[in-house]
Amino acid sequence: MVGALLGTRIRENRKALKLTQKDLAKIAGISASYLNLIEHNRRGIAGKTLNTIARALSVEPSELSDGMNQSLIDRLKSAAIRNKQINTESNRIEEFAARFPGFARLIARQSDQIDIRDEEFTILSDQLKHDPYFAEAMHLLLSNITTIRSTADILAGNSNIPTKTSKRFIDNLAEEALKLSNTAEDIFDYFEPTSEKQVTNLDLSPFELLLEKNSYYLKDLENSKQTLNEVLSSLNLSDEDYLKTKNSLNAYIEMAKNLPINLFLDVAVKHNYDAIALAKHFNTDILSICFRLAHLPKRSDIPEFGIIQCDASGSVLYRKQLNSFSLPRYGGACPLWPVYRSLSQPLQPIRAMLDMPMGDRFHTISFAYPTEAAQIGMPALTEAVMLFTPDYLMLPKISHTQTPQLAVGLQCTVCSRLECSARRATYLLEDK
Amino acid sequence: MKKSVVIIEDEPFIIEALTFLLENEGLDVRSISDGAKAIDFIVKSKPNLVILDIMLPNVSGMKILEDIRKMNEISHLPVLMLTAKGQKKDRRAAEEAGVSKFMTKPFDNQELIEHVKLMIKS
Repeated sequence: MVGALLGTRIRENRKALKLTQKDLAKIAGISASYLNLIEHNRRGIAGKTLNTIARALSVEPSELSDGMNQSLIDRLKSAAIRNKQINTESNRIEEFAARFPGFARLIARQSDQIDIRDEEFTILSDQLKHDPYFAEAMHLLLSNITTIRSTADILAGNSNIPTKTSKRFIDNLAEEALKLSNTAEDIFDYFEPTSEKQVTNLDLSPFELLLEKNSYYLKDLENSKQTLNEVLSSLNLSDEDYLKTKNSLNAYIEMAKNLPINLFLDVAVKHNYDAIALAKHFNTDILSICFRLAHLPKRSDIPEFGIIQCDASGSVLYRKQLNSFSLPRYGGACPLWPVYRSLSQPLQPIRAMLDMPMGDRFHTISFAYPTEAAQIGMPALTEAVMLFTPDYLMLPKISHTQTPQLAVGLQCTVCSRLECSARRATYLLEDK
Repeated sequence: MKKSVVIIEDEPFIIEALTFLLENEGLDVRSISDGAKAIDFIVKSKPNLVILDIMLPNVSGMKILEDIRKMNEISHLPVLMLTAKGQKKDRRAAEEAGVSKFMTKPFDNQELIEHVKLMIKS
């Protein structure tokens, strides 16, 4: 029993501080013989005496008492489970925590720190996957390497190349090697902690973090295996975040209630995930369908959709980015995206294929809608969404073969379309 | 009469290397880097083979491939896609659009030449 070990914990803490029973008893205002009984778990203590002893031992009373100490025990257990390959004496964790409270706290804290690092690592790794600068730099590296490999093979394998041609190839090699080294330097510079080019993605809201962690599909919430309050309490939110997250979760629940996942998927398969056909079938607006399509289970037989929602100023209100299609957090995207055009054509869906500079293609549906009834003398408030997917082959064929193709980018800084008339910032990887 | 190849690629040094390799094999080689003009160029050049990159300025190579397959005059042409985008989904999209051979960059010169010879023969 943990309770039986309260005295043991007091004794071990006392010994660690090199205090005698007499010293501690005096501070606590009890007799040394009574403290001896307590330390041998023959008497229990609580309240004022426990607080005084805890203060004298420089620990929290909860660390000596039973209930709160359970958290330390749980943390030690979780540290032991994480390292299953080490055969820890897990049946003696409570005894260990009682006898060596300092070491127990150290192990628990280190285990907590590993958890935090793991989470940070996952976020950073996701950020790297979404990072358009890194993707563009990798493309340039591959291109440099292709030229160098092919040209070097020609020079090495053809002894009868005319001198003029051979000189030209050597010049090409030198130029390409210089480009390769510049690109490598750019990448190195980019990953310097103080780099100005880097845009952090770590400022996600708790709701966005929850969605990212669950691949944008909250299965337990949809199947009523988890309640709204259970989700909220699992998130450990500040007062400010609590209300915002609650509202966002309520909107998610509303979406799942109006378009239940199993029914929706059955119908979506029949209509090849075509947003407009689905809106007609469910007799609902395209906006609701776009949000439902962006929050489906992640499976190879279901196309993966991303979404961006913005207001009339282009400020991003909501986003789900894909590994191949990163979205800015605070504006700054490509002005040629059809989502911005849709703002001038409210309620008229725009279908377009986007051709990215790196060859990725996305089928998109953009749709703008007024957010409130028009008022005399005030501009109509409008928002827009763009739903996009790289899995256009799973959509009706007509949707990618007979729709306008737009040559666009992600953001000017990572877009290699140097002649683009919409350019407003320098391409960071441009040849020096 | 010499067999001919059209290269659609935006990296000038890759064009130069490819041109040298294929001319060395006795082929007539023409190239263009602007994807938007690629279809007209192919129609005029009447090549025996097209070598196509995916990442091109203005128009994606994938769109060019779709357009080639849609135009009666050139729909029969073998197309070798040569790209740094070697993911499964890119390969699948290219197959769906009617690619004849899909090769990733960086490529092996000899392997490329062998594929080109085979494709021109058939």
